[in-house]
Amino acid sequence: MSQIKRSVSMYSLQDNYARGKMSLEDIFRFLSDLDVGMELISDQMIKGAPCPTAATLNKWDELVDKYQMDLVCNDIFINTCLYKNRTLTTKESTDLLIREIKQAHRLGFSLVRLVSMTPPEIIEPALPYAQKYNVSLALEIHAGMSFDHPMTKAFIDLIHKLNSPYVGIVVDTGIFCRRHPRVSSNYFRNQGTSEAVIQYIDDIFASGTDPKRFYKKHGGYPKELSALFKNEMDETYAMFADGYEMSELSILDEHMPYIKHFHGKIYEMTDAGVEYSIPFDELIKYLDKKDYHGYISTEYEGNRFVLPGEEMKEKEQVIMHQEMLKKYIDALNS
Amino acid sequence: MFDNYVFTKGSCKNVEKDGKVIGFSLSTLITYYRGIPCSMIHDIKVIVDGQEVDRKDIRFSPNGEDYFTLYELETVTTYKWEYGEQASIFVEKDGGLLAGEHEITLTTAIRVAYIPVPFAGSKTRKVTIASNN
Repeated sequence: MSQIKRSVSMYSLQDNYARGKMSLEDIFRFLSDLDVGMELISDQMIKGAPCPTAATLNKWDELVDKYQMDLVCNDIFINTCLYKNRTLTTKESTDLLIREIKQAHRLGFSLVRLVSMTPPEIIEPALPYAQKYNVSLALEIHAGMSFDHPMTKAFIDLIHKLNSPYVGIVVDTGIFCRRHPRVSSNYFRNQGTSEAVIQYIDDIFASGTDPKRFYKKHGGYPKELSALFKNEMDETYAMFADGYEMSELSILDEHMPYIKHFHGKIYEMTDAGVEYSIPFDELIKYLDKKDYHGYISTEYEGNRFVLPGEEMKEKEQVIMHQEMLKKYIDALNS
Repeated sequence: MFDNYVFTKGSCKNVEKDGKVIGFSLSTLITYYRGIPCSMIHDIKVIVDGQEVDRKDIRFSPNGEDYFTLYELETVTTYKWEYGEQASIFVEKDGGLLAGEHEITLTTAIRVAYIPVPFAGSKTRKVTIASNN
């Protein structure tokens, strides 16, 4: 029996929420109907976070209780750039993290996701609070800033050093792209990116590697790519392309013991019911073999690439992804 | 990518105080997916008919009640610009916008810890100001 569980990140429903099409309660109902857990971004939907009013907290408690919500993870950010004239000190950043740990505990979460580039030096001083409030701290491994990034490496070294059940990682499946998301290509095409540049990036993926690795091998943009840059959006596209990585699933082998959670990144669920870039069928088989017990949260990022006048289909895309995950997980058990 | 959140349609209007038009205001959602302390607002630019507004004439309010200059904003850490909340941007200008059609561009930029350059969003709208007579 597979122990892989499903949840939805509120990143997926951001447009519906921002435009007032879904209230927090509508979101609870939506997740409840899907029978999945919730991944919150407290800065997004909890007014006054990380220090919300008692009234806001009471409303939250009522919703959690009414819908018996499974609270999976809260995504937090340490605002080290709070001031224009300086970066926060380690002490200031640690205090912010401690405040986030307390808030997560109060809201009912036992896991927080630290965004990529969170300073590793604030973890150890906050660890006693993580233990006291039973909140694990997990750094996001995100494409463009993944395992080869110096700050990510420093964090992984720290995990080994601390060897604590309260410290780990959240893996974003955007590191497993087999091709460039075409919704992103369409978006940038509409903004003026040339066909030749889009094709060049597609060819990098088709050759079995990703732009980040390819650029690195060439010490930057290869000459023949730079030669294709005819406007600002060409270079912007080439730059953003390194945010989609093509790693093998086996890159996770050595990290499995401290993987706390997955962001099941989706850019586009196609009519065939699969994600255009990411092989979720292989991922789920892999995680089952590794006896992964945690959640995969749908994180729909296609909302970034909706063309002007085109309809935003956040709910539809989330439902399609959840149906796909369920199908793959059920297949393991049959 | 966040441009669709900048400059809420139909929000631009002249502002009157004591029977006198003292400027104009417009509304916008944040160019991000979460709320932030106001001190993380890096810059706000307004262009009216090709002419950039002097930044000292711009005021920002996260709640429509308390207004800050862009210089003051740098230390405003206790007010948050909440996600999904319309912030109000006021431009001080005697007489406000003249009656007729204008082309107005609003650009907002915020700092984000994990991205080296500020996140910006920009939107240009044609705005029609009705005549008072």
